[in-house]
Amino acid sequence: MTAPRRDEPTERRDERDEPAERRDEPAARRRDDLLADLFRSPLDPGYAAAAASGKPPPRWGRWGRAVVLAATGFLLAVAYHQAVAEAPSASRARDDLVADVHARQRTTEDLQRRADELRAQVDQARDDALADDDSAARLKQLAAGTGTGRVTGDGAVVRVVDAPPEVDPVTGEAKEENLGIVLDRDLQDITNGLWQSGAEAIAVNGQRLTATSTIRAAGGVILVDFKPVTSPYDVSAIGPGDLAQRFDGSPTAKRFKRYVDSYRMQFSVKKRTNLTLAAAPEPPLRYARPPSPSPSSSGGPR
Amino acid sequence: MIAVIALAIGVAAGIFLEPTVPLGLQPYLPIAVVAALDAVFGGVRAKLDGIFDDKQFVISFVSNVLVAGLIVYLGDQLGVGGQLSTGVVVVLGVRIFGNVAAIRRHLFRA
Repeated sequence: MTAPRRDEPTERRDERDEPAERRDEPAARRRDDLLADLFRSPLDPGYAAAAASGKPPPRWGRWGRAVVLAATGFLLAVAYHQAVAEAPSASRARDDLVADVHARQRTTEDLQRRADELRAQVDQARDDALADDDSAARLKQLAAGTGTGRVTGDGAVVRVVDAPPEVDPVTGEAKEENLGIVLDRDLQDITNGLWQSGAEAIAVNGQRLTATSTIRAAGGVILVDFKPVTSPYDVSAIGPGDLAQRFDGSPTAKRFKRYVDSYRMQFSVKKRTNLTLAAAPEPPLRYARPPSPSPSSSGGPR
Repeated sequence: MIAVIALAIGVAAGIFLEPTVPLGLQPYLPIAVVAALDAVFGGVRAKLDGIFDDKQFVISFVSNVLVAGLIVYLGDQLGVGGQLSTGVVVVLGVRIFGNVAAIRRHLFRA
C-alpha cells in the first residue's frame, strides 16, 4: 500500500508534461506497469524503431504487405462464413426434427383413424356373419369382460394426485425430495383393490386395462400399456352398485388415506353413474393368421 | 491501393472457395481473426503516423497470429483454454481500441 502513495508525486509530474513525452518516447518511461503500458502505447514500438533506423524497406515489402492483407481478408471471410454456417445449423436441425415429429404425428393419427374405421367394419361384418343372437351376445359379453369392447355402466372413480412439492419457507425453493409422488406401485395397488372389490372393467386416465395390461414406471413416468399417464390419475371402474363403498373400506384405500395424512397426497373415491370406458386397443395376433390366399390383395400385414 | 485490392482478393477467395475449417482448428479461428485485426489496425495507424514499415507489419501479423494461437493451444492443453482465449481477446481488443482511437484522431482530428 505504501508504494503507490510514495509514487504519487512523480506520477503527477508525469501527467503534467504528458503530451510532449508521449510522442517522444512512448514506452521507455512507463515500462513498469504492464496494463498502463498496454493502454498508453497500443502501437508496436517496432514501427517507430524502424522509422528511426532509416533503413530502406526490403524489396519484398509491398508483396509481403499484399499477402498479409489478403490473408487477413481470407481469415475474415472464413470466420464469417464459419459463424454463419454454425449458428443456424443447430436451429435448422431442431426445425427439421420438429417438422419430422409433426409429420409422424399426423401419420399416426391417420393410421389410427383408419384402424378405427376398419375395426368398425370388422365388427359390423362379424355381427352380420353371426346370424344367431345368442353367440353375438356372448361375444359382446366376452369383449366387455376382456376389455376389447366399450362398456357403459355405474361404478366408481378413484382419484390420486401427486403431493405438491414441499416449498422451503425461507428460500421459496421447492425441495428435491417429494415422498407424496404417486408411484406405479400405487396405481397397481389401486387397480388390484378395485378388481378385488368386484370391478368388471377398469381404465386408468381413459386407458382401458385388459388381462395383459401393464402398469409400470420408466424414467419417472408411469406407463399404462406403454402409454404415459400423468397426475392427476383417475382410475375409473365399472362394477356392482356398492363398488365405491366396498373399495373405500378396503385395506388399500385405508393405506392411501394414511398417505394423505403423512405425505399430503390427494386421494378420493367417488361413486359415479353412467361411466363409459373406451375399448382397449386390439391385442396383436400372435398365433392366428388371416386366411388370405393371395397376400398381395389382402392389404393385411406384410 | 494495393492494400485494398489485396484485402478484397482475400475476402473474395474466402467467400468463393468456401474452405471448410478442420475441427481441430476451429477454436483458433476467432483468435486468429482478432490477432490479424490487431496487426492490420496497427499497420493503418503506423501508416497515418507516417512510420509504416512493411517488414514490421508482416512480422507483427505472423507473430500475432502464431502467438495468439500458441497461447490458446497451450491453454487448451492445460485446461484453461477458454480463460486464456478471453485474455488474448481482451489484450488484443484493448490494443485495437487504442489504435482505432489514434486513427480516429488522425482522420477526424477529434
